[in-house]
Parts: sequence; C-alpha cells; structure tokens
Amino acid sequence: MRALVVDDSRAMRKIIAGALRKLGYETVEAGDGAQALTALGEGPLPDLATVDWNMPVMDGLTFVTQVRANREYRAMTMMMVTTEAEHGQIVRALAAGAHEYLIKPFTVEALEEKLALLGLLPEVAGA
Amino acid sequence: MTQSTETVPVEPDSVEDEALAQIVDAMWMSYFGHVEPLLAAFEPHDIEGAVLCASVGISGARPGLVSVVVEKAGAVPLAAALLQEDGALTDEDVYDSLGEIANIVGGNVKALVPDAGALGLPGIAAAPPLPSSAARQAARLDANWQGHWLTFVVWLAAPAQAMHHDFHHTSTDTGTED
Repeated sequence: MRALVVDDSRAMRKIIAGALRKLGYETVEAGDGAQALTALGEGPLPDLATVDWNMPVMDGLTFVTQVRANREYRAMTMMMVTTEAEHGQIVRALAAGAHEYLIKPFTVEALEEKLALLGLLPEVAGA
Repeated sequence: MTQSTETVPVEPDSVEDEALAQIVDAMWMSYFGHVEPLLAAFEPHDIEGAVLCASVGISGARPGLVSVVVEKAGAVPLAAALLQEDGALTDEDVYDSLGEIANIVGGNVKALVPDAGALGLPGIAAAPPLPSSAARQAARLDANWQGHWLTFVVWLAAPAQAMHHDFHHTSTDTGTED
C-alpha cells in the first residue's frame, strides 16, 4: 500500500511516514496541499493521504476539498492528522470529504486503530 | 495605538497550568517517549537570554499566544530527540522541530479557549516572546530535560478585549512551518 504524507513540518512528516512504513506502507511526502496535488497528478494514486490542516500555500481543508472535487481521486482515503482539536473543526473536515480524523499528539497505536477502522492496515510480512 | 491602563475584569481562565501540563505531557509521551521524561522544575526559569522561542498565535474572541522557550543549548538535543536522528541537524531541522512542538501544544490549547478562531503558523525567534500588553499569562509550565530547561507559556487576552495587533515577535522570524 502507498501513502502520501502531507504536512509542512519535516519532523511530523518523518514521524508519520516512519509509523506508516513500519505498518508496511510505501510513503511519499509533500510539504503543503499544492505540493500534494502535484504529487497526485504525477501518480500513482496513493491508497491513503494523511493531511495536516494548517499549512502555508494551501491548507489541508482546501486540499481535501479539491481532491474530493476530482473524480479521478475518489479511490484515495484521506485522514486529517492535525492539532485542530475542536469538534467543529472535525465536522468541517469530514464534511469536506475527509474519511477520518486523528488529533496530534497521537500514538502509533492510535494511528493503527484508525487505519484498521478504514480497512487500510497492510499485511506486513512476518507480522 | 493608545492603550487603556484601566483594569479589565477578568473571567476565570479556561486554560490553566494543569491543563497545559496535561497537553505537554501527552505530547511528550507521544513523541518523546523513547527519551528521558520531562521533569517539572521547582522554580520558574528565567526565559531571557540565549534562547530559542517557537510561538503560535490564536485568533478569536480571546487572541492568544502559545510559546515554547528553550535555552539554545537544549534546542538541538530536543530536535534530535523528536526526529530520532543522531547526526548533525541543520538550523532548519531545529526550527521546524520547535515549531511543531509549539503547534501541537497550541492547537490543543486553542481547543480549550471559547470562541477561538484560527491557529497561526509557528514563528521562531532567538528571543523571548513578546505578547501584547493586552494579554496576560494564563498558564505556564517550567520543565527540565537532560540538563536543559524549557518553558511553555500561554498568554490570552482578557475576554472581549480587542487587540490591534495580536502579538509581536522580535528578531529572526524564520518563517518556518507548523
């Protein structure tokens, strides 16, 4: 499985991508929503995108909205991974088209649980 | 800008020391669980001097600023611990790591502030934070880690007190990310 990690913090991209790779994902990274759209255009389409909310250039909510407006990207699951913790923000993100929402700080176990709910836990060889 | 010197009645804060400590503790357990624990300091640190400070602003009915201030000597090992890297780090790595710590704490603080607006992107400065005179310190956590100190501070404006320019941040704003 393949994941696109969208976050403007290199530290957070490293944390999320590292956790996903341990779960068996191949990962690519983007530093904002615009870079992520470019990555999607270049293909192949990832199974999962983890999306931060507050980013320069293009924020995560705009990215999610634009992805959902493109039929070619419908097969990709989007999970917001953000510090935006208010209920209203969660509702906004889900309404825009995100499938799941994970609040920072998160544990690897919490990420794994969300992926299991989405049916996106790869079967890791030897696990 | 003319600022009133009148005392404004203040409501109890939704963000207090204990809530800030819980947020920082959760952040530490999630991303620094592999290193030494963060220990509460017995006395407040002097956050002047050779420091690096990462701050995020909160807009809304009670604008605020959430900062993590670390002595310069402690910034690199802190970033190395977050990134889990042993090699040399660039300044950008250090700024990014501090900014992300401020972002995580700030986002969770914002969730406790009634009628909060947006969370700003982190700014980094080689100086202590300078909140607006309209703000007052709502919560603070002084801690020690591996022989270094770091301090988390939350400033919030009093309810219904308009702020012309939320907060100033001096010197080298690196324009880094959240």
